[in-house]
Amino acid sequence: MSEKTQAYGIDLRAVAPHLLLPLAILGVVAVFAMLQPAMLSADNAVNIMKQSSLFFFVACAQLVVIITRGFDLSVGATVSLVSVASSMAMTALLPSIGAGASIFVGVVLGLLIGAAIGAVNGALVAFGRINPFVVTLATMSVFTGVATTISGGFPIFNLPDAFTFAFNQMTILLLPIPLVIAGLVAFALHFSLTRTVHGRVLYVLGDSNEVAHVGGRRVKEHLFLAYVTSGVLASVAGLLMTAQTGSGEPNLGTSLVLSSIAAAVIGGASLRGGTGGISAPVYGSLLIVCLSIGMNLQQINGSLQPVVIGAILVFGAALDAYRTKSR
Amino acid sequence: MTAIAASQQSRLGRVMKAIGILPVVLIITCILLALYEPRFLRTSNLINVLRNASFLAIISAGQMLVIIVGGFDISVGAIVALTSVSTALSMVGLSTIGIESAPLIVLLGCLAGLVPALVVGIVNGFFVSVMKISPFMVTIGTMTMAAGIAGYVTGGTPIYDMPELFTREIGRGRFLELPYIVYAAAIVLLALWYMQTQTRLGRYFYAVGGNEKASRLSGLNTRKYIWLAYILSALLAGIVGIFLTARVGSGEATLGSTLMLESISVAVIGGVALKGGVGRIQMVALSAIFLSVLSNGMSLARIDSKNHIIIIGLVIIIAVAAESYRENRRSRHV
Amino acid sequence: MNATSTGPGEVISPGTPLVEISHLDKSYGAFKALEDMQFELRAGEVHVLFGENGAGKSTLIQIICGVQNYDSGEYRLFGETLTGLTPAVAHEKGVSIVFQEFSLIPEMTVEENLFLGHEITGGWRLAKSAMRAKVQSVLNRLGFKLDPAARVSTLRRAHQQMVEIAKALLWDCRVLILDEPTASLTDQEAAQLFDIIEQLRDEGLGIIYVSHRMPEITRLADRITVLRDGKYITTVNQADTSEKELVQLMTGRSFDSFFPQIARNPGETVLTFEDVTLQSGHAKNLSFSVRRGEVLGFAGLAGCGKSEVLRAAFGLEKIATGRITANGVALEKHNPRKALSSRICYFPSDRSTEGLAMHQSLTFNSTIAALDDPVFSRRKTLLNRRAERGFTEKMIDKLKIRTPGLTAKADQLSGGNKQKLMIARGLSREFDVFLFDEPTVGVDIQAKLEIYDVIKTLTEEGKAVVIASSELAEVMHMSHRVIVMREGRIVGELDGEAVTESAVLSHFFDHDNKSQAEEQHAS
Repeated sequence: MSEKTQAYGIDLRAVAPHLLLPLAILGVVAVFAMLQPAMLSADNAVNIMKQSSLFFFVACAQLVVIITRGFDLSVGATVSLVSVASSMAMTALLPSIGAGASIFVGVVLGLLIGAAIGAVNGALVAFGRINPFVVTLATMSVFTGVATTISGGFPIFNLPDAFTFAFNQMTILLLPIPLVIAGLVAFALHFSLTRTVHGRVLYVLGDSNEVAHVGGRRVKEHLFLAYVTSGVLASVAGLLMTAQTGSGEPNLGTSLVLSSIAAAVIGGASLRGGTGGISAPVYGSLLIVCLSIGMNLQQINGSLQPVVIGAILVFGAALDAYRTKSR
Repeated sequence: MTAIAASQQSRLGRVMKAIGILPVVLIITCILLALYEPRFLRTSNLINVLRNASFLAIISAGQMLVIIVGGFDISVGAIVALTSVSTALSMVGLSTIGIESAPLIVLLGCLAGLVPALVVGIVNGFFVSVMKISPFMVTIGTMTMAAGIAGYVTGGTPIYDMPELFTREIGRGRFLELPYIVYAAAIVLLALWYMQTQTRLGRYFYAVGGNEKASRLSGLNTRKYIWLAYILSALLAGIVGIFLTARVGSGEATLGSTLMLESISVAVIGGVALKGGVGRIQMVALSAIFLSVLSNGMSLARIDSKNHIIIIGLVIIIAVAAESYRENRRSRHV
Repeated sequence: MNATSTGPGEVISPGTPLVEISHLDKSYGAFKALEDMQFELRAGEVHVLFGENGAGKSTLIQIICGVQNYDSGEYRLFGETLTGLTPAVAHEKGVSIVFQEFSLIPEMTVEENLFLGHEITGGWRLAKSAMRAKVQSVLNRLGFKLDPAARVSTLRRAHQQMVEIAKALLWDCRVLILDEPTASLTDQEAAQLFDIIEQLRDEGLGIIYVSHRMPEITRLADRITVLRDGKYITTVNQADTSEKELVQLMTGRSFDSFFPQIARNPGETVLTFEDVTLQSGHAKNLSFSVRRGEVLGFAGLAGCGKSEVLRAAFGLEKIATGRITANGVALEKHNPRKALSSRICYFPSDRSTEGLAMHQSLTFNSTIAALDDPVFSRRKTLLNRRAERGFTEKMIDKLKIRTPGLTAKADQLSGGNKQKLMIARGLSREFDVFLFDEPTVGVDIQAKLEIYDVIKTLTEEGKAVVIASSELAEVMHMSHRVIVMREGRIVGELDGEAVTESAVLSHFFDHDNKSQAEEQHAS
């Protein structure tokens, strides 16, 4: 490295990449704050934190499989199906076993569905050795269809108040509960990725399945678990988003897929696999959410917002290609 | 392979290997449908099936080209919508500025309508072949952008007032009992068949998708061919957009929403390998007919259209699993 | 461009320089691949390019045929100074190359591959019958029995190589470059190829032949140019030199002092193969045993099955019949995980796809095979990262791995250091058997010596070491016992003093050619 970058005792070239995203986020906030002072209000800040937390889970789900050189196109479908199924369970059981128990059943059911979808994906990718793109494309269509069918295409209202309170409005030490849960999950995921054998193997798989195999690791099992994890994380997103909207929605997750991949990639995970840590979904979801909320405040047409996200996606992918050019 | 096994590979076996299982499945499906739902064989129904198959075939042909060179085109559905909107707007605009000749409006309108499709194709091709970005990311990006622009321009409402020549004659008209789209599909299929089997271009698509490095070493400009595949895919999607708009009678930003998934399904079921380098238009055409028959069958059996997507998803899984199984068996013998 | 007239039309007299390279430099980033290179190819000669892996042979021929450009210097082709050469232009001028790596389109047929990029057309249409006729005539002339309509992916590797050679010879060319062309050919097929090469030479072609196989060089070469570490060493006439001298020129060291002396103390048998045949058929009826304290070498031409034997011992190849026993326990449903716990360690021949996770850190790679060991993980799930770091530092020191830093990624290391990183895993836990599959491919001389030292240490500590190598000198001088394989079978086992070059070579060739080989070797 040239001496020029070692100014003031800090190696700029090493630090710069890490500053890029926080600066981008601040930049976005600054730009919208100039246009709409409401961007900086306390209410808006809480809103940003809540929305980022919700989005964070799908970005995490995506991260886990992207590290292994895969994709999960079914996260949106999982969110929708979990929303619908858990809502139906809660509303159906509410009269008979009361709020607490029905919420419990609903939540457990939601998590199980997420795990099950993840298991289907994992089985086909790891054991069936089928391209993850095609597998999750297929499961996306199947489970979106199931969500639409069992809900009849209509939202499910009358969820227990305690549910929406516990998972949306409650605050712990002034922090909204989705943020708290996100924090816990972030910690757990970071720990799992950096300090466990499973996490280590996921990174190796991202480079090459054969290397992990020759190293004596159980490739299929780890890959399977990665997709199950993704499914469970998506189901958490589904539950929290349902609590926020106050109803079970069969289309809750439809627009999430692309943004979740964009968030993970912009945030630093590479589509070629083998890289990306917890910072990727953190920064990525903050960036995407700040952009969305900023655009809403600015009252930018709803149809144009995806255009911006789409452009971000392509930009993020170009950045990723540039970053990995030496590979 | 032992001597016994070798002699068992009869003439039938070799023919089966060449054409695969799809024609058989198609015939069986048709027979079953004919037996259980006599309405299937009604002329009007069969024409419906053929019409849907035609739309599918054209858009899947474009998808096939892109998959052959090793990529995906997720933006085809959005291109259909974008073309629909731009064609309608062009035609309305042309008549507003005073052009009276309906054929002229239709012709110019269609050409103008294809321009955005061409632009998307060029953008896709550029980012994939020159910038070397994952086709998945690029085409998803262009998809969201195209869909967003189409939605913004229409403001959520369809665009009417297109010349009747377009909506009635082309959209719903027939030549010798068959809708015009069927002839369009036939022309496209024939042209692609010729390209794939009789021209250098066809071979080069296979070569680039089969082994890019070796193609480059053989002196091929791989960038050019990859770029071209995306442009062709976009244009074919655009053509589907024009014909669909004619049929529906208005410019819609929601047109073609299911076509992306369907085009990939048709391609995969039609034997186009996801790894690239493999795929024949004849099988894609058959596959388009199959999927159209399947949809038709599901409708006749009164399965809700919302559930069709479940069946299609399952069929994709089966088709891909079968391909994966065949690949794994083959590689073990190497 | 008309397909049949790529040649110049003029007659070139033998001895005319076709390729002249002087003061050529080429760098890949910071790595200097060629320095002040010179080379001259004359019409009517077979000119061998001789050198270690990493000496620069591949780079030089890639520059000659236009795949790579060069930084400075002069390259004259047929008397004309060239800049900006591309493969297409080089081909047009009459330079044809057969690459070492697979460069065909697997799903296309033989004839489609042969004509790729240079199809004969009538207007827009492909002139298929014209192409078929030409393919048939080329195949007949070469004596290759191939079906032009066969898909390349269905062919054996040897036949695929024939297609690549036919492709180079389809067009009239004046310069032909062959990069290790006999790697997958049988003796008969290789002999056929040699006949054709001699014929082409007599017709006035200039042929560059890259190889480090002495028998071939002895048979074919007119002149030999030796490269070492990217530099030009010398050019000699084949008649004036000996193998000993060539290897000395290639390695820069005296032949005898290059390989270490390894003490031999054969101990208990730790691994046995009993009449093992692989499912893939790449190796059959294997029976041998591996003992502590000695080095067992597997020798044979590429494709003979020696790699597969080691892989089978490690559970990477499925067994059809027979039994593999480790420390008295039969290995059923063998896989790498089982092999590692049976204290068998394997170093794959292909570092980048099987050996190292290229974009992961040195630490990740050094401990990958021992993640379940209590030293590196608590209860097999929680990593002990401090222990990992400590181990990696120790390995960097012990194996002299040259790295930009502890946090470097595997792909930032040079070939030799990558190999050493892979070997580090052998020291991450207790192993009894070490299987080295082509241990010094793409490794510079310094690292080679260091790796040989590791093998020496392991053996003298009482471990069992097995080496499979296509480099005859290496396997011969490093092993106490040598098993020779040909076409998937064990054809000879030599012990101690009996391990001589002629003895090993006599097993390489089959009975009919035996005397011919011995004759050639006496010269």
